[in-house]
Amino acid sequence: MNRTLLIAILIAALAAGTLLALNGDRSGGTAMAAAPRVATVLPEPQTLPEFSLTDHTGAERDRSFLEGQWNLVFFGFTHCPDICPTTLATLSSARKELAESYAGTPPRIVLVSVDPERDTPEKLAEYINYFGEGNLALTGPEASIRELTEPLFVYFNRVPLENGSYTVDHSSVVLLVDPEGRFHALFSGPHNAADYVHDLPIVTSQT
Amino acid sequence: MRSLPLLLSLCLLSACGPADDSPLVVYGLEVTPPRPGMNMSAGYFEIHNNTGDAVRITRAESPQFEAVELHETTTVDGVSRMRPVDALVIAPGTTLKLERGGKHLMLMRPVEASLETVELRLYSGDTLLLSVNTQVASD
Repeated sequence: MNRTLLIAILIAALAAGTLLALNGDRSGGTAMAAAPRVATVLPEPQTLPEFSLTDHTGAERDRSFLEGQWNLVFFGFTHCPDICPTTLATLSSARKELAESYAGTPPRIVLVSVDPERDTPEKLAEYINYFGEGNLALTGPEASIRELTEPLFVYFNRVPLENGSYTVDHSSVVLLVDPEGRFHALFSGPHNAADYVHDLPIVTSQT
Repeated sequence: MRSLPLLLSLCLLSACGPADDSPLVVYGLEVTPPRPGMNMSAGYFEIHNNTGDAVRITRAESPQFEAVELHETTTVDGVSRMRPVDALVIAPGTTLKLERGGKHLMLMRPVEASLETVELRLYSGDTLLLSVNTQVASD
């Protein structure tokens, strides 16, 4: 599956680049098919790996819990003062803006913790609810988290700091998971709310 | 060589604005609120060096936080990394930007549960370069 997924992502990235170039060539025209600005859509959605994690309410969740709605999945941690809250605030802002125009419920924000030692369900509950209602946060043993991240080529690595604490290096990508629980598209950073507001209605209506 | 600390002292405890020709001028200072359950914030601003000498900010402190660190986030090949840095260096006549996803201050362990105003003090070694205040931002 890994090889298939990697090839799919590469093809999607090439297609996105081609679309961008075509749109650029047509910038002087009046009629243009709607195309995502930054999202890379996979040619074929890929079923997510099986996983079993604990959500911010303490409930056990597996892949099926992502089904039934669109999800924006970000991998981060609560002790990250800069890029993680900035990304979550960006997604939250986009959701609020989309709520007024989007057909249906805007995609749910899903935070998958890459710092299970510090990110308990209780901590995650306080944190994720700050970024809006209906969001989901997942944590669990590191091995369980890696069952989800590694097949998706999502990286994270704990790094000790001189002050005795540690930080976690991690992929900054946001994955769009469709209502069938499949990896459908990805947003690479830097993340901008306007890009999500532009792209999500296009990408989620193309199924 | 002019005395940089003396020049900089002119700006101490002042609210520097965009038209300010003080030795160091801070623009757009923003301190994010600590998220519920968390004990840290981030500080962002632009700082302009009007002097003819490079300025090195080697540490920062705030009465409202137990500790403040100088940090930098870098994202390379899609992986974000945050590390402490030894100093923020502002070349003569230039502006250094502390921004989301880049250099920033990490403010740890607020001393009070409710934060409204934050004072930031920037140092070069033991020399206080600048002190500025701001309201805590909202997301």
